[in-house]
Amino acid sequence: MPDFIKPLRRRLVELGCPLAQVRRLVREVADHHEDLKQAALSEELSGADAEARANAQLGDPLVLAEHLMVVLRRSSWWGRHFVIGFGVLPILAVPVLWTLFLMLGLSLEFALGFGWDWKKLHVAADNPVAFHHLVLALHGADYVAIALVTLLFCWLARRSAVSLKWMVTSCAICSLYALITWGRIEPHSFTLGFTISLSMTQQWIRAAIPLLIASAIYILRRRTTQQFHEKVAG
Amino acid sequence: MVIGNIAAMKKTNPSFLNGVPELLVLRLLASREMYGYQIVEEIRTRTGEALAFGEGCIYPYLHYLEAEKQVSSQRREVEGRNRNYYKLTARGRKRLEELTTEWNRVTTGVSLLMEEQHA
Repeated sequence: MPDFIKPLRRRLVELGCPLAQVRRLVREVADHHEDLKQAALSEELSGADAEARANAQLGDPLVLAEHLMVVLRRSSWWGRHFVIGFGVLPILAVPVLWTLFLMLGLSLEFALGFGWDWKKLHVAADNPVAFHHLVLALHGADYVAIALVTLLFCWLARRSAVSLKWMVTSCAICSLYALITWGRIEPHSFTLGFTISLSMTQQWIRAAIPLLIASAIYILRRRTTQQFHEKVAG
Repeated sequence: MVIGNIAAMKKTNPSFLNGVPELLVLRLLASREMYGYQIVEEIRTRTGEALAFGEGCIYPYLHYLEAEKQVSSQRREVEGRNRNYYKLTARGRKRLEELTTEWNRVTTGVSLLMEEQHA
């Protein structure tokens, strides 16, 4: 494998290129290098000269990696409009998505727990023990909804190969919304709302979920990158 | 003029060249299936070296076209070399027709204006 492949691969991974894309790009660029070399050899250049010319034609592998990433990012809407996609859109979409996922989660719990029977739900609401379970079910659905919204933006960021800071930005917006939104259940009533009171522990737990997801993805990405480099070096 | 290097494209190529790489690649693949190096060489030679992809920069384009289902690819061995061969799909053919119509419309308009100025 040509010398420039290693720095090219390393730089692509550093720039956040999905690993499947890295493998494919590197393989095709290596094929391309071989074709350039063969073309030079057919002009009766020596092996070393042909290699040098192929390297020169492909240019600096670090610059090539940057160019490949620019084209890769521009090939998706999220990659082209990363400021709107990960800076502006979450501000508008997170409350809507959170509400949607929460309602879906609660519907699922209602279906599984009460078989869509409203009478059973009202009976449970009047029983203190059963009502406590309803509160726990709401918290569970709420945490899952926050996590799903965050994971959705993280997945989009990863798929469009934007830099890590945009994934963190969308996670921070999710965290902020988790801090100020709430869902409350009382016997026979359920409300969603916004608050700027930060005294509730519950709100801080909610806000921590997107930040924990961002941290986990960051650590996972670093570990995967390291393993990828080790595997390639080995 | 480099058309594969998007970073450089902003500085070197006017915006009306946007979409040209896509048109050229689809046009070449309409005649036969090709691999990356072949496409780059064909563009360089058949445009009289007026247009050229940056070496290696064609692959993200091809992957994009593949994601858009305008081309499909297959890795296979030919003459002892393993390469990814790309070919046009029905959707790619339709897209090529659209781009060709648009290109003809623009070039006809520009030619009319240029002729008018020379007259």
